Amino acid sequence: MPLEPDTLTPLLIDFPFEWNYIRSIIYVSLYVSLTAVVLSTLFSLPVALLVGFKDFRGKTLLTSIINTGMGFPSVVVGLVVLFAVSNQGPLGSFDLVFTTEAMIMSQFILAAPVITGVSLAAVSSVEQNVRDAAYAMGGTKTDVALVTIKEARYGIATAVLAGFGRAISEVGSVLIVGGNIASSDGTSVTRTITTAIQLEARQGRFETAMILGAILVVLVLIVNAIVVRLGNGGGGGRYE
Amino acid sequence: MTLEAIDVHHGYGTETVFEGVSLSVSPGEVVAIIGPSGVGKSTLLRLLALFDAPNRGSIEYENQAVWDVSEQRRLEYRRRIGMVFQEASLFDASVRRNAEYGLRVRRSWTDRLRHELSSLVGKTNGTGDAIDALETVGLREQADQDASSLSGGEAQRVAFARALAYEPDILLLDEPTSDLDPRNTAVIEDAILEARRRGIGVVIATHDMHQAERIADRVAVLLGNDIIEVGNTETVFENPTDERTRKFIEGELIY
Repeated sequence: MPLEPDTLTPLLIDFPFEWNYIRSIIYVSLYVSLTAVVLSTLFSLPVALLVGFKDFRGKTLLTSIINTGMGFPSVVVGLVVLFAVSNQGPLGSFDLVFTTEAMIMSQFILAAPVITGVSLAAVSSVEQNVRDAAYAMGGTKTDVALVTIKEARYGIATAVLAGFGRAISEVGSVLIVGGNIASSDGTSVTRTITTAIQLEARQGRFETAMILGAILVVLVLIVNAIVVRLGNGGGGGRYE
Repeated sequence: MTLEAIDVHHGYGTETVFEGVSLSVSPGEVVAIIGPSGVGKSTLLRLLALFDAPNRGSIEYENQAVWDVSEQRRLEYRRRIGMVFQEASLFDASVRRNAEYGLRVRRSWTDRLRHELSSLVGKTNGTGDAIDALETVGLREQADQDASSLSGGEAQRVAFARALAYEPDILLLDEPTSDLDPRNTAVIEDAILEARRRGIGVVIATHDMHQAERIADRVAVLLGNDIIEVGNTETVFENPTDERTRKFIEGELIY
């Protein structure tokens, strides 16, 4: 059934306000999730290489912690981070309650085990003889690690995607540590797409909630496409 | 530029692999290590390639014990040694990038970055030494192919070129032709002789007696936990001093 112009008018009039609101929410979501994923990746790759190729005391325990961390309840993570940044917590003096920094911390804790676990599987699958070849050609330990990362790049791309997926679709912990705050001008301070969807749906504004839901799906698809493209070496370039 | 294993004792846990093994290789000679499967030929090559330190004894390069020097100095020694394994173990990259690897890791980080950026904008078309090495194994035309598209024999030839490209003083070959057809075996053997002609010292582990006879200047027979005989190839095959050598060469000694 074609839409009558009269039906569309209220939506079009409301749209500029809604768009600022939505744009600020997208910005906060991407800022928090991408920052957390970049930090998690920088932390997780060395850990995955260490656990994958070094023998040390406590390796089994560390592997168990990583595997357990992959399924950590996000609400509990949020609770722990909120306590840490609260006045009674060790980070209380930094005044981080209901800030994007606290949200990044909680998403880091959620994404890091996922990225570490999947990266660990990827780097462990690189054959010993390929790493031996890099060493035998005069490579240093860093060169061998770089070869391992490049050989495992598809698996690592999957790990980053999985971490980003966990971070951007997260509700519980960012709601607790971020507080789902919007400023008086109607833009987001700590409101993310997921917490906004939860709020909008609860208040019966299904159109906005649906638009945010669609944006979330599209964002995840775009980031997937970019990471897969990078994992393919730009589609043409190759690595050692 | 002599690489030597001197009175090397080595093993894993309670298992003894070597008891007093000594072997040397000089520039421009081919030394074949022959012996049955599982006797420790690969282990000896890995010790010579400075992968591991021997439990006792020493590995010396130019009369310097390589495990008594700093890690940086040892890296310099390692970079004068090349190694080719039984499996090609190529990287997931083009043939050219594989052949260039040894040259690339020898550059400083800034040079590497500059070179990578030049490659991206097409200002460089690969390193001459790597292309020359590919020419030696007859694969210059395949330089831009994916390494994964090569046959097993071609892949092993690229692995050889990868080690040859940075002109090492010593080349260690761990049964490099054991899985190859006669044509690819001949190409690799020609490349070994070309390396010798360039003054590179080659140690090849092989269980192919005919190959040892064809290309080696000296042969070392590894049996039990020791090298029981080292000598001129013809002498070892025609007039071995150790009865076990004769039996092994004639196939009478079963391990």
